[in-house]
Amino acid sequence: MVRVFSLLALAMALVLSGCASRVDYGDAQARETVTADFGSTDLQMIATKMVDDMMVFPPIVEMTRDRRPVLFVDRIKNKTSEHIDTESVTDTIQSKLINSGKFRFVDMSVVDRVREQLEYQQDSGMVDQASAAQMGRQIGAEFMLYGNLSSIVKRDDSTKDVYYKFTLKLLNIQSGIIEWSGEKEIRKTRKRSLFGF
Amino acid sequence: MKAPFTALAAVVLAVVLAGCSASNMARPGDDGEPRLYSNNSTLANRLSVEALQDKKVGDLLYVQATLENGWKFELDFQYKIKWFDRDGFEVAPESQPWRQLVMAGRSQNNVQAVAPNPSAVRYEIWVRE
Repeated sequence: MVRVFSLLALAMALVLSGCASRVDYGDAQARETVTADFGSTDLQMIATKMVDDMMVFPPIVEMTRDRRPVLFVDRIKNKTSEHIDTESVTDTIQSKLINSGKFRFVDMSVVDRVREQLEYQQDSGMVDQASAAQMGRQIGAEFMLYGNLSSIVKRDDSTKDVYYKFTLKLLNIQSGIIEWSGEKEIRKTRKRSLFGF
Repeated sequence: MKAPFTALAAVVLAVVLAGCSASNMARPGDDGEPRLYSNNSTLANRLSVEALQDKKVGDLLYVQATLENGWKFELDFQYKIKWFDRDGFEVAPESQPWRQLVMAGRSQNNVQAVAPNPSAVRYEIWVRE
């Protein structure tokens, strides 16, 4: 009888420990292939390829030799069927370009808040005018970064094939000329295993 | 009878533990200089750097490495270029991602990378599965 209770207690302990959840930190740069959808590995591959391509393009090398042109990021049009935070891709590209020491950026997403701050410094009477930032002194962007993310998805009973194409362009705002354009293609295939697991 | 069994168990345990260890190794090139770094000796033995070139693009270091898969089967792995400044500090370590590469058996691939900023003067090529 005692042996039966011991076995039951052991089985119970095993079942309960099996239900316990566990949280671990992982490598943020590890290959992520949970599904064939757009993921962190794709984002990192795209950002690295775009920045590397742009940095070695001879006219860009020449342009950044003695000065740091000012850019602004428009947006990446998401033409895929997935919900993808394309701003996250451009944020990574922007960070890499700024940290290269070759480019500077203006951020159009904070224009309203910057204007509020300027008005506060100028008009509130709270700020020493000797240190207040002046209106009309911002530097205009010379170039615009924009692009597209598109995909082609094909599937049958056992296979899903996704092809992504990311295109990024650098446009001279004054002349309207596209000074540089880069592309990155990614193909991902998900195959259902033999027994459907 | 018991002693040989114990010895065999010790050998098996040693092999298993050695398999779990992750010591870094550097595979040298023809000039004896380390060329390929990995903590996976199997992968590092199957891969080699056949040629290594670098040049300056503006003031940024630009690297091209010709990797060769000496194994007869496909190799699916990741590689990363680590950049170092003049004082040996790694430059922008978290912004350098591991890049995917699939190489057919007994094939060569050129991989290229640009230094994250002008302070990078030296680099290492790391691979992992």
